[in-house]
Amino acid sequence: MKAALKLYSEGVFLVRWSRYNPYYLEPEVSKEAYSRPATELSAEEKEQRELKTLRPIKAATSGVSSSVFDDPVISKFINMMMEHGNKVLAREIMTQTLENIKKKQVEKYHKASEGEREAIECNPYTIFHQALENCKPVVGLASIQKGGKYYQVPIPLTDNRRRFLAMKWMITECRDNKHRRTHMYEKLSQELLAAFGKEGNVMKKKYELHKMAEANRAYAHYRWW
Amino acid sequence: MLHKCVALKSDALTEFGVCSKDLSVSILMSLTCVSFQACHSETHIGQYYTLPSAHIRTLFPSGLPWRYQQQVKTFNEACIMVRQPSLEVISYLKKTDYSKPALRYLFYGQKGTGKTISLCHAVHFCYTQGWLVLHIPDAHQWVKNCKELLPSSYNASRFDQPLQATTWLRNFRLTNERFLSKIKTKHRYMWTKREFTEEGSLLGELVDQGISRVKSSSDVVGAVMKELRLQSGQPGSDFHLAVAVDGVNGLWGRSTIKKEDKSVDPEELTLIYNLRKLMRNDWTGGAIIATLSQTGSLYTPKSAYLPQELLGERGFDSMDPFIPVSVPNYSEKEFESCCLYYMDRHWLQHPQSRTEEGKKELVFLSNKNPSMLDRICGFL
Repeated sequence: MKAALKLYSEGVFLVRWSRYNPYYLEPEVSKEAYSRPATELSAEEKEQRELKTLRPIKAATSGVSSSVFDDPVISKFINMMMEHGNKVLAREIMTQTLENIKKKQVEKYHKASEGEREAIECNPYTIFHQALENCKPVVGLASIQKGGKYYQVPIPLTDNRRRFLAMKWMITECRDNKHRRTHMYEKLSQELLAAFGKEGNVMKKKYELHKMAEANRAYAHYRWW
Repeated sequence: MLHKCVALKSDALTEFGVCSKDLSVSILMSLTCVSFQACHSETHIGQYYTLPSAHIRTLFPSGLPWRYQQQVKTFNEACIMVRQPSLEVISYLKKTDYSKPALRYLFYGQKGTGKTISLCHAVHFCYTQGWLVLHIPDAHQWVKNCKELLPSSYNASRFDQPLQATTWLRNFRLTNERFLSKIKTKHRYMWTKREFTEEGSLLGELVDQGISRVKSSSDVVGAVMKELRLQSGQPGSDFHLAVAVDGVNGLWGRSTIKKEDKSVDPEELTLIYNLRKLMRNDWTGGAIIATLSQTGSLYTPKSAYLPQELLGERGFDSMDPFIPVSVPNYSEKEFESCCLYYMDRHWLQHPQSRTEEGKKELVFLSNKNPSMLDRICGFL
């Protein structure tokens, strides 16, 4: 163990490609986790706390913050939208998108009559999460070779893969298939609101994938895992 | 609980303001209040005053900040927070003796503290009292990005800006409809060899002349300013004149307009020349309210916000003496009131933003600066 824990203090340390020793523990960023008194914790959590006092901890990435408004899904989406490392621009687009969604919904809310008001969702975060949920495919297709030919086989997807596909489709759809002169935040807000209402091109893409998977159901047994 | 109140003064516009919205949150009152006489005392600092929408359309066709206009559209109402600087100016306006020369009030402060909104608040007060409002939404727009520059017909060394002049005349006509048929000109004006405006013709005709004949519109603006300056405060006229200029430091700064690769001095522009004459306090029967602005200004450092720095030597000497009114960031009470207002209008949607931790974070991120708070609450 000790031999594996090399000291990284000499010279330039490339953090981007660093692989931490498995001995290092993940950092806990939220303030709530530390404000709980010792009496409230179960036995495992007490053990975890003990371990944290003894073992070294990895450095937190610059994408997470201890802010109460921090959302890992939104951070992931911002990272996927980012090009050439321009995080400032990607974040700006994201905040403008959220503001735009909220603006449209609140305007609708204030103009609607009393009965319709309960049905209108104004929180841009719930709209974003719900729209992504609606866009996540249930099954995916994998190209598997059998007997010299490649077959598209329906396979189950992990949660991470589903979330990745939903976000990727959303971003490519907004980049490619919309009018050239509209801003990205405008395109994104339109597409997210449509996905929230289960319409729009991204939903169409998800349904087509499902249809393909259903059509290729016969090859499902080509999957061996 | 909504109730409408009628203004107590009968000769002023019968304006009924809107509602006192009773928010049942225990911490602070964020009541929106109505008629000016009732609702603008020291106890109302932090409360929101609703501007009637009819007034917004006539008074401010282009005077409000862009983000505020968007907010008005979203919330379907226009609310301004009653704050100390505008209350101060309004109380002075109530008490001034209008037979003395016009007083100059200058709102100054850091970026985003609410100078333009305070100016609009004071202008709205003047409008409700039945004054004639001469509102220049942004003096910086007249010294930059000029698409058409014509040599002036009146004075060969000056330049005309027909586009800006016609837009301003249109807005002026919209704001002051009722005065156009009451005020008569005292001088005769010759526009070209064949066109002239007789003495004693209505102000409305003068303004229409400027809008239809685009080439002489800048001179018409000068004529309108001169007439109003001469006539306000005279025993015969029954109106008070309120001159409101946003970004007044642009009048004495530099300009980026180029004529044949030579930079044009603001003094050589007819509009600026006439406006500078109006800013002198040699006329009676009204008030001059102005705002400094670094954001639109040219060749000024970003950290400058004091009158001395932004007006420069010439500007300060021309504006001296004036009453400087500092516009600071929100106080604790005002910040709470703003948050309560946003929650009432369903603008603060993030569940965490309603907690104590969230509020502390908002205070930290925005430093209680009104525009920063607005931007942050936009996406929360």
